[in-house]
Amino acid sequence: MPFEDLTPPQALEKLGQGIKVFEGRLHPLTLIVSFLKYGRALIPALALVLFGNRWAGAPLLFFALIGLAATAIKYFSFSYRIENNELITQEGVIEKRQRHIPLERIQEISIEQGVLHRLLGVVDAKIETGSGGGAEASLSVLSRAEADKLRQMVFAHAAAIRAEKTAPEDAVTNEASVVEPETVVIRRLSVRDLALAGLTSNHLLSALALAGAIWNFADDLLPDAIYAKTIRLISQEAKHWANQGIEWAIAVTVGGILAVALIGIVFSVVGSIALFYGFTFSRRGDDLQRRYGLLTRRSSSLPRRRIQVLEIEEKALRRLFGWATLRADTSGRGREDSDDNKGRDVLLPIVPVRDVDELLPVIFLDVSFAETDWRRVSSRAVLRETVETAVVCLVIAAALFFWSGSWWALLPLVLVPLAYWLFGFSYRQIGYNLGDAYLRTRRGWLGRSTHIVPINKIQTVEVRQSPFDRWWGMATLTVDTAGQAFTGGGPQVSNLPIAEARELAARLARRAAVTEYKW
Amino acid sequence: MENNETHSSSTTEQVEEFHSLDPRAISLWRTTYLVSFGIFILVMLAVAVSLGIAVPAARIWMATGWMALTAFCLWFSFWFPARYYRTWRWRIDAKVLEIRSGRLVERARLIPLNRLQHVDLERGLFERMYGLSSLIIHTAGTHAASTRIPGLEADEAARLRDHLVEIGGDDAV
Repeated sequence: MPFEDLTPPQALEKLGQGIKVFEGRLHPLTLIVSFLKYGRALIPALALVLFGNRWAGAPLLFFALIGLAATAIKYFSFSYRIENNELITQEGVIEKRQRHIPLERIQEISIEQGVLHRLLGVVDAKIETGSGGGAEASLSVLSRAEADKLRQMVFAHAAAIRAEKTAPEDAVTNEASVVEPETVVIRRLSVRDLALAGLTSNHLLSALALAGAIWNFADDLLPDAIYAKTIRLISQEAKHWANQGIEWAIAVTVGGILAVALIGIVFSVVGSIALFYGFTFSRRGDDLQRRYGLLTRRSSSLPRRRIQVLEIEEKALRRLFGWATLRADTSGRGREDSDDNKGRDVLLPIVPVRDVDELLPVIFLDVSFAETDWRRVSSRAVLRETVETAVVCLVIAAALFFWSGSWWALLPLVLVPLAYWLFGFSYRQIGYNLGDAYLRTRRGWLGRSTHIVPINKIQTVEVRQSPFDRWWGMATLTVDTAGQAFTGGGPQVSNLPIAEARELAARLARRAAVTEYKW
Repeated sequence: MENNETHSSSTTEQVEEFHSLDPRAISLWRTTYLVSFGIFILVMLAVAVSLGIAVPAARIWMATGWMALTAFCLWFSFWFPARYYRTWRWRIDAKVLEIRSGRLVERARLIPLNRLQHVDLERGLFERMYGLSSLIIHTAGTHAASTRIPGLEADEAARLRDHLVEIGGDDAV
């Protein structure tokens, strides 16, 4: 890529001290992509000015034009470089804005490619640091090759800096030995896997969302007369069916529910396939990489040292089939609303539970777990949970009984023995395991989630005792780490005998205190 | 501070032992509760009076209601701080700072000292009146990212802060 020297004087000064290794600019297609983006805003504005209210249209047109001008200015003034162990972005003409991001602090460089980007062969690169609140810098748009090169450079140099810090005398050899590591594919997900992931996800919610979306869409699009007519038609039909007798009403209701469920299933299967199509989970040196997407291709790389907690999530339905989802948190990354529908919240959307054990050493280098040494929680945990369930069921049954007067109201009590059996069954599979370098916790009666946290990533340990806990002589132990966004509240063990909880907490805190925390 | 001294002399060989907060914290909390409840009670008085004017029949209920509320607030601001004070304790050794608190839900939070990011010292208006400070300890965590020890004697809080910064500072980013 040709590069004209636009570095301002103060940057040239710094250049003397450090090594400038890489510099680049946005791809010329930035202009096209942004023009198309703002162009969409331009069309209604133009239409309004030409055919409608001129006074309303003029400001719109003005803003659209300003947007266009801003992108052009951004493109011509934007540059970035790696220098002095920092990634520096610079933009602006009159007032130059520079942003310095220390390479060591870069958590993740994610690459996103929408449909338009794919047609043009370019990508957006987002640079994330431990500061939380989204991307630290967004490079939009780059050529595919340049984005890959940037990613390699950043992580290779970050590794070199770390090596230099740990062993300064070896720094030169380390610098030289940073060669391109090979990419090893760890797992690919087939369309069948993804369909399964969709099938076992939450159908009804997505179905309702779809119905809501269609309703809104229809509300916007259809002329009011047709809309009102449809509503009238539906209500007439409904009355008609209601007059046919109770059987008809039930049949229609059941049919309706089935239809909604079916739409939901289709929707979530299609959604899952579109989001994760061609999911490839691979490792390149110290980076875990994910690539996926049917329409919008996404890829992100995650240095595995940055993983604070790993969660093996088995929701009730998936657990029945022996499937799990892997989630991981890196430090300082808050959750954003858009993360879920971009698939950023999962490390691996679906994987058979029996395969998880062989995947763990890929994610945590020095992991070695014996499946036998799980410690169970208090032996009275099953009794406690059953008693608490029984109390809730009794209250509901009593309320129903006084309200209806029918003996059927006592039906909820049937749940109690069922719950007792479930708790007894799950009890053997929950607890914790404190190894040399890792703490594992496992919880959940119906669904289950297992957390693995490296001891050097533990921030604080808390033992909590509610009044109920005090009654049973138990406590809940929680481990706090940086950036718990996706792993559902982090590691937690409930129903521990209070003495054991206090002792475990003290041991964990002590062990954490002698390890060094690295981002 | 006398309280702490007597407390520590009873167990001499133990390296780490629990400290209580400064007893003046009770008076501090009583003052804080009285002031904030006081504002609330005045607002309720205004409401009761205006309702009493609008609905003369309900005057007696308004009056008793308001008095009951006032009595409860007074009793609570006197009773609760003393109970709450007893739940607070903290201890520190070479590696870990432990803070226990909570009446209904008891919490014990253990912070490995090398995980400290920074330590804040805070002195509110009432705290200054009583010569007290709060210490706020920050880690890089999420749910428990900051932990507060209220009602410390001002000099002791400053000493503790300096100590924490000194030993915990090496790992901070």
